[in-house]
Amino acid sequence: MSKSLHQNSNSDQLANSAQATSEGRTTGMQVLRQLQEEHRQSESGLGKAHFYNRVALGVLWGATGITIGLLAIILIYVIVNGIGVITPEFIFTWPRGVNAEGGIWPTIIATLYSTGLAMAIATPIAVLAAVYLAEYAKQGKIVKTIRFAADSLASVPSIVMGLFALAFFVETLHIPLSMLAAALGLSLLMLPIIMRATEEAIRAVPRYIRWGSYGMGATKWQTVSRVVIPTATPRIITGLILALARAIGETAVVFYTMGIAINMPIVPIDSGRSMSVHLYLMAVEGINLPAAYGTAFLLLVIILVLNLSARWISKRYSRIDGA
Amino acid sequence: MPGRLKNATIACQLLVTLVLLAVVFSLSACVGGHFESTIVVSGSTTLLPIAEVAAQEFEAIHPEYNVLVSGMGTSAGIEAVGITGTADIGTASRELRGDEQALNLIEIPVAYDGIAVIVHPTNPINDLTVAQVRDIFTGAVKNWSELGGDDLPIVIINRDEASGTRSAFASSVMDGQTFEINSVVLPGTGQVREVVSRTPEAIGYISVGFVEPRHVDTIVKALSLNGIYADDENIISGEYPIARALHFLTNGVPTGAVRQYIQFVLSPQVQQGAVRDAGFLPVTADDLERFHSGGGY
Amino acid sequence: MSERQTNTLDTPDNSDTSDQRSTHKADAAATADSLRTDANPDKTSLTRTPTVELKDFADTARAGQAPPPPRPATKLQLVSRSTQIKEASLASLFFLCAFFAVLGVMLIFAFVAWRAFPITHEIGLWNFLTGTKWSVAEGTFGAVPFIVGSLVMTGGSLVFGVPLAVLTAVFMSEVASPRANKIIRPAVELLAGIPSVVVGFFGVVVIVPIVANLVGGAGFGPLTGWIVLSIMIMPTITTLSEDALNSIPMGIREASYAMGATKWQTIWKVVIPAAKLGIIDASILGMGRAIGETMAVLMVVGNAPQIFAGISAPISTMTSQIVLEMGYSSGVHRTALFGLGAILFLISMSLVLTVRLLSREHRKKTRKVKKGNTA
Repeated sequence: MSKSLHQNSNSDQLANSAQATSEGRTTGMQVLRQLQEEHRQSESGLGKAHFYNRVALGVLWGATGITIGLLAIILIYVIVNGIGVITPEFIFTWPRGVNAEGGIWPTIIATLYSTGLAMAIATPIAVLAAVYLAEYAKQGKIVKTIRFAADSLASVPSIVMGLFALAFFVETLHIPLSMLAAALGLSLLMLPIIMRATEEAIRAVPRYIRWGSYGMGATKWQTVSRVVIPTATPRIITGLILALARAIGETAVVFYTMGIAINMPIVPIDSGRSMSVHLYLMAVEGINLPAAYGTAFLLLVIILVLNLSARWISKRYSRIDGA
Repeated sequence: MPGRLKNATIACQLLVTLVLLAVVFSLSACVGGHFESTIVVSGSTTLLPIAEVAAQEFEAIHPEYNVLVSGMGTSAGIEAVGITGTADIGTASRELRGDEQALNLIEIPVAYDGIAVIVHPTNPINDLTVAQVRDIFTGAVKNWSELGGDDLPIVIINRDEASGTRSAFASSVMDGQTFEINSVVLPGTGQVREVVSRTPEAIGYISVGFVEPRHVDTIVKALSLNGIYADDENIISGEYPIARALHFLTNGVPTGAVRQYIQFVLSPQVQQGAVRDAGFLPVTADDLERFHSGGGY
Repeated sequence: MSERQTNTLDTPDNSDTSDQRSTHKADAAATADSLRTDANPDKTSLTRTPTVELKDFADTARAGQAPPPPRPATKLQLVSRSTQIKEASLASLFFLCAFFAVLGVMLIFAFVAWRAFPITHEIGLWNFLTGTKWSVAEGTFGAVPFIVGSLVMTGGSLVFGVPLAVLTAVFMSEVASPRANKIIRPAVELLAGIPSVVVGFFGVVVIVPIVANLVGGAGFGPLTGWIVLSIMIMPTITTLSEDALNSIPMGIREASYAMGATKWQTIWKVVIPAAKLGIIDASILGMGRAIGETMAVLMVVGNAPQIFAGISAPISTMTSQIVLEMGYSSGVHRTALFGLGAILFLISMSLVLTVRLLSREHRKKTRKVKKGNTA
């Protein structure tokens, strides 16, 4: 429909539209005719089309309202129930007793430890891979394969990632259930996100900057490392932050790789319990719901802050770019 | 333009720092030092909280020891202590089965647990026989009116197959028959309790200790079975029909640090503290004597 | 050419109105691509000498002419051999990193499949795929209840989620003012960022009791799951659909308005059909998200290994069954759970493949149209 409209919209084809209509095809002219007809039929001048228009726009408003409403309800619910729980004691002390009263400090550390480690593992690989795709690779079969693999990796269900991490890192490589095993699993999750963000960032670097560098006799690596990547860094960091936010909320990957017991991780092969797993256990055990609300609140706040700072960075640097 | 370049340079340095961090992290992964004496406890998630709390308190008294507790299920715990030897103590919330009995593991009871059958407080039924409970959970009885209650379809709340509570319930009640498939399977005790407390048609089962926990203001009603109430006395005496012992498993008679830790778990501090808090019953004087005499297992 | 280059200058800017932005985006991408192919005709030779480097410029300068045959680099060598070697080894290091993605996917499939493989002799592949009974106690493992469960959950959540998401996307791209979008877009992105375990928690404490009051029973089941899942997949579909809508050239809309069409007529008869493929892509990716979603589903569907028996009867999915039982499984049971993992992997792979084939098909079509126009 749109195509025929688009093609017929140039003047010489408009003349043929009457013929096209007689052939039963819907064209732009036909739409117009219909409109005029409807307009003529309506007495008030505000025709059926306008009525539909209003209804439909109302529906659009409604749908968007529902979307925003859902977000607002979840946020408000968690905030209202969670904020009362948050005290310095809740954040900075250990859970006490069998019902995990007290704080959630070790779970916060375990979460930050494992995601930080995952980011440290995934970032160099993903950034260099993106450099290869954007700067070095010849657009051909290999690039297509790599890109397809990255897309696939991004769509692997997180529980399958967890299964793999358990089967490979824990049971085959004999890494104990630990920060390291969880981080390796999480880094697979973050890899495609960072890769994509970096590649887009590098591609957005204007070509003439590179020419300048080459023109001064710089080699490819010099150009990439001293000109292209620094220019692309704000956007790369934005991607990193978003990947981090994703990993912090992840549960299925760490459920069978990090261990479940509460522990303060010191070295990477220490086990622990992440905030997301803690929230899950508190929610299904249901004995200490305040702790669950508090944990959910903290998780949301961390993710909110990360998302907002990612937006802030990209905005700030785009302003500088524009100036 | 120079300002922008400067910004970019700083950002680039940040990135390099990240990369360096990665290297440092991966290196430290290989080094990792540990305490002189580490006790590894692994197994049942039911016993996890007790083992954990006991470990914290134990470490406070004996800072030279490090107790690592992890919960992956009873089967994993048995494998870890009996076959692979990766754990010093396995925790079990069920009896040893088949092949596992040939592993020569020593079972040390650390707590007792009775399982209460719970219904909504408005349910007129107060007592059922074990056979009636079985009929409900196999799906043979589908309406409360068949048991003398209101005309409501029964909603069965079951536990997941990984649950020790479920296997204890199955072995004392189900008599080899399978559970009704159209039942809600929930992964936690608290959830079962919460759902039963707000669903008039529901029936479920939880550890006796969770029928009236602290901090929770919802109400469920525990039924008496064959006319016997699920109180401490009836559970330990074995008169109440659905009860189980929770065990620590060791490969051979425990010695040294492992023995000290188990001794601590059996001390009143843990038995009246964490064990009671977790909703379980303390071990009897007979059990303690058996442990302290060092043999008899 | 010069006009295009000015476009590239301000690509990172994304603060202006959506229509301008979209044209910017499309143009910039095209320019970047064309420039890349112009500037580096010989990216294969990674150990390039400056002679070749200079040749790049020569090429761009007299674009269109046939490139001269590369001269042997032995005579004029501005860069030492060691630098060349360094450049080459760096390039291959980058390739290795890029290959990590391929390696990752292959490893994941290999390990999950390897662990699942014993199904063929322990259960029998056919028995596993067509068995309708899953009972650990009896040692029967049939995957049908979970496959059906996953499909029912995914299908239902698409029915709820896609219309809501697409309508929101249309609103953002066609109706909302840039100022309104400054609120809506971050909100949608934020919704996408809420971890599934938090949504699941919200589902357990809020939605489950509501559903229990509405339809009776305990409140666990597909209906609750659909609501929770559509919350999870909606942001994905909204964001991707909005991208698709924004990439429709403004001219099409203007043509429609010029003919007197109302806003809705333009949206319904022009914009949506033009962005149809992008919206379908978005829905497929949303579907992938739904089928792989784990924690939120686990917490609200009731996890009974039975085949769909009504919107309020408990049901289980592949993902939730894996989380629920993995911890204590051993032997055949564990193999069967890995089997479910392998099925999940294959389904998500085939969805990615479908998206790929669809866009290829689309590209072919548009190419044909273009050729037809010029001929």
